[in-house]
Formats: sequence, C-alpha cells, structure tokens
Amino acid sequence: MEYDYLIKFLALGDSGVGKTSFLCQYCDGMFNQRFISTVGIDFREKRLLHQSNGRNNRIHLQLWDTAGQERFRSLTTAFYRDAMGFLLLFDLTNEQSFLEIVNWIEQLRVHAYCECPDVVICGNKADLDEKRVITEWRAKDLAEKHGYEYFETSAANGQNIHGAVQSLLNRVMIRMETAVDKAMLPGRRGRAKHDSEVNLNVPLQQKCSC
Amino acid sequence: MALNLQYEAIGKGFVQQYYALFDDPTQRPNLVNMYNIESSFMTFEGVQLQGSVKIMEKLNGLSFQKINRIITAVDSQPMFDGGVLINVLGRLQADDDPPHAFSQVFCLKPLGNSFYVQHDLFRLGIHDTA
Repeated sequence: MEYDYLIKFLALGDSGVGKTSFLCQYCDGMFNQRFISTVGIDFREKRLLHQSNGRNNRIHLQLWDTAGQERFRSLTTAFYRDAMGFLLLFDLTNEQSFLEIVNWIEQLRVHAYCECPDVVICGNKADLDEKRVITEWRAKDLAEKHGYEYFETSAANGQNIHGAVQSLLNRVMIRMETAVDKAMLPGRRGRAKHDSEVNLNVPLQQKCSC
Repeated sequence: MALNLQYEAIGKGFVQQYYALFDDPTQRPNLVNMYNIESSFMTFEGVQLQGSVKIMEKLNGLSFQKINRIITAVDSQPMFDGGVLINVLGRLQADDDPPHAFSQVFCLKPLGNSFYVQHDLFRLGIHDTA
C-alpha cells in the first residue's frame, strides 16, 4: 500500500495510566503481537489522510507502546528511535502519574530526536469524574508552561482520543513542511545517517526554547 | 573449602524459595535476609547496587504488585569456595502486562551451614532490534 509519510508516535507515561487502552481505542483494537517478545514494543497502525495547503497526504501512522518494561528499568534508545511525536499520558485520578509528567518531559529531551519534540499531554480516565484528583486548569497550566497542547481523554468512552492524535499529527506535519531539509527527517525516505546531520531547530510557533 | 556436591539441589531449592518471596508483594521485604549488608552485589537491568539496603530499596521501589513466573531452566555449578553458581532462564508477567523473558544469575556464598546471595544479575530478554 502506497503512502506519502510514515509517521511514528510513542505513547509515554506511568504504568496504569491507560496507554495501551488509549491506543487500542484509537486503532479499534488491532495490534502486532509478533513484535512484543523480542524488543518489548507493541505497535498499532492506522492509515489516514491529512490535508495541508490544499494537498492530501496519505499518512501511515504507527503508534508505539511498551510491553511494561519501564517497570523494571528506564526506557532506552531503541524505544525512542525515529519517533516524531509523543502522546504523554497521565491518569486524572492519580496525582503521582501527573507529577511524573515533568520527568517524562525530561526523558524526552534526552532521548528524542531533538530537545523540543512535538508532544500532546493527555489527562486520561476523564470518565471517572468522581475519582478525579487533577483539575483541568492545573493540567492545562503545566502543558502551557511547556508549550504543549492538553486534552482530557477517556480510553473507556473514546472522548478526545481522535482529537489528541489529530492535534499531534498536525504539529508533526507542520514541522515536516517547515523543516530545512525534509529528506533529513526520520520517516522520510533517505533519512539522515547521523543525528548530528539533522537540523530540526527550525522556527515553529511553539513556546519552547528551540 | 571443598566443592559442594549438592549444588544441583541447592540451586533448584534456592530458586524456588527466592521467587516465592519475590513474586508475593507481602513477602518481598523478606528478601533482605538473602543478602549481606555489605558484600552482596546486584546488577538490575544494568543498575549496579551494593549491600542489602540498596538492593532492597531497588526491589521495594518496583511498581508492580504480583509476578507470575514460569521457570524454563535452572543451571547450577559448584564453586571452589563451597558456593553455588546459578543461572535462571524464564518468563515473567508483572500484574497484567505482557509476559517478558528474563535471565538471572545468582552466586551463593556459604555462610555457616547456609548461604547468602553474593552476586545477583538480572536482565529482561528485550533486544534493541527486532
């Protein structure tokens, strides 16, 4: 099947925040079991069309999920490799998972392809309103501080799941189109051989340092 | 000290006892008795730790509750100081996560008529490429 862009997103966040359920909800339950056992990564795929500047781009979206190995160790290079966008999840009913968001952002700065990658933050389990401990403004405030968009999502009823992924895709596509040399972006055919050759410090309308 | 010819039974018995404690969250803190306060080393997923206090901090900090485990093989050898070297190959499942392969090496050091874990090396069977 032909496509114009292969885009890889990672779902990150503490154990139990609903990463797998989130991706499962987005991709209608499909996953790739073969991959899990060797590299500890499960990925789901989705085809979609993305419109920009009046052009339709055929997107092949890969959504990567861990198999829980982060409970034994920190996630290393193999997991972050070639990822272009990050879905950073916490559980609205779990304060600790919200506090850990800052550490996850730090991890991203170290391991992602550049110091300010495209991220959307998702406060998941929004359906469990009576158990909620994180208010919307508190989460929004944190997201804005880092220049990221914030969504309240529910993997259980599907609330904002598509909206969050779409928003991340829009950001990534803007970066793709404004990058100095598109051939050097991960996912594009003929990508750069060394990270040092990639210059992604292009001006974007983002409130972050690069 | 002579070789301990019971090494096979000691290896199997130890592994059974160790994981029975490890896999039950209420029993896990009792693993402290397996290690020496100074002369036990652990390498857990590449993190180096020395002494039972540091080792227990690591084990108690793991965020899962229950572990389900299937042991595939326990290979043991006697050591010239009377200790036993053990290699474990198996699969584990933390709570409801997908199962992972793991390998763990223990070196048991004799202490009176018992043993303590002098060395403990643990790795999940996860690779950098598919």
